[in-house]
Amino acid sequence: MNPAGGELLLFQVGTRVFGAAVDGAVRIGNVRDVPAEALVVETALGPPFARDRGIVVSPRQGEERTLVVDQVLGFRSVGADEVQPLPAFARACLSSTALTGFVMMDDAPLLLVDLPTLVRERS
Amino acid sequence: MADPKPPDPRDPSGASAEAWFFCLRLLGGRYAFDAPLVIEVVRLGPLTRLPAAPSFLPGVFTHRGEVLPVLDVGQLVGQGAVPLRPSTRAAIVHCGPWKVAVVSEAVEGLVAIPRRQLEPPPAESSGVAEFLSAVGRDRSGAIAVLDLPRLVEAARARAVPAGSGA
Repeated sequence: MNPAGGELLLFQVGTRVFGAAVDGAVRIGNVRDVPAEALVVETALGPPFARDRGIVVSPRQGEERTLVVDQVLGFRSVGADEVQPLPAFARACLSSTALTGFVMMDDAPLLLVDLPTLVRERS
Repeated sequence: MADPKPPDPRDPSGASAEAWFFCLRLLGGRYAFDAPLVIEVVRLGPLTRLPAAPSFLPGVFTHRGEVLPVLDVGQLVGQGAVPLRPSTRAAIVHCGPWKVAVVSEAVEGLVAIPRRQLEPPPAESSGVAEFLSAVGRDRSGAIAVLDLPRLVEAARARAVPAGSGA
């Protein structure tokens, strides 16, 4: 997520809702017609339940991959002052560098994800 | 008996007859650590769980607009989790570069222990004993003194480092 803020794509994996910068997503689509080798199903975000939707991600290097999610919930604009980095201790302990920070949504922290990093970690 | 006075900042040498600690109830016992590490005590409130997190990092919560990580000492030492509820109390501490909220079963607050009653910890090197710097006793009973900076650093070191591919 750009620390200056921007547009977020909100999506759900399992029971959790995440946000990601929209410029990390190429498009949103169905997963049925995507070859299995192009799907990214289990990531640091955990396994999806319904596996209904896909977020096509360009991992900066290599071919596009489709991140399988349960729902795409919509978009939201956030200001720079709404974005908080991951606390240093949490960043040092997590097994994924794709989790980058938070924005407050309905008084609760919404976890921000860097989509290209997330799919690259599973490549 | 008068309430204990807070530590005198003019006496950082520890030359006084009493040592001051901040005491929590954890793992069914009384555990304390150096009082100056504590910034404040808060109720946890709603916890946001983090994916890809070790068990001793059950999540984060928001306090005055700041997102803080929660450290469960019980999980770290393999002796069971502290029950987490919105009413659970935590001590926000600064340990070197890390700012974390240590969850507890209850908070006692500042305690004074006569220095002559502080003894070396038992020689055990497993579980929470690994992180004890002393044991002591006050009017309410026995207290185990944690080396909290070492414990927090051990937690960080035990986590799977990001980017390791694990």
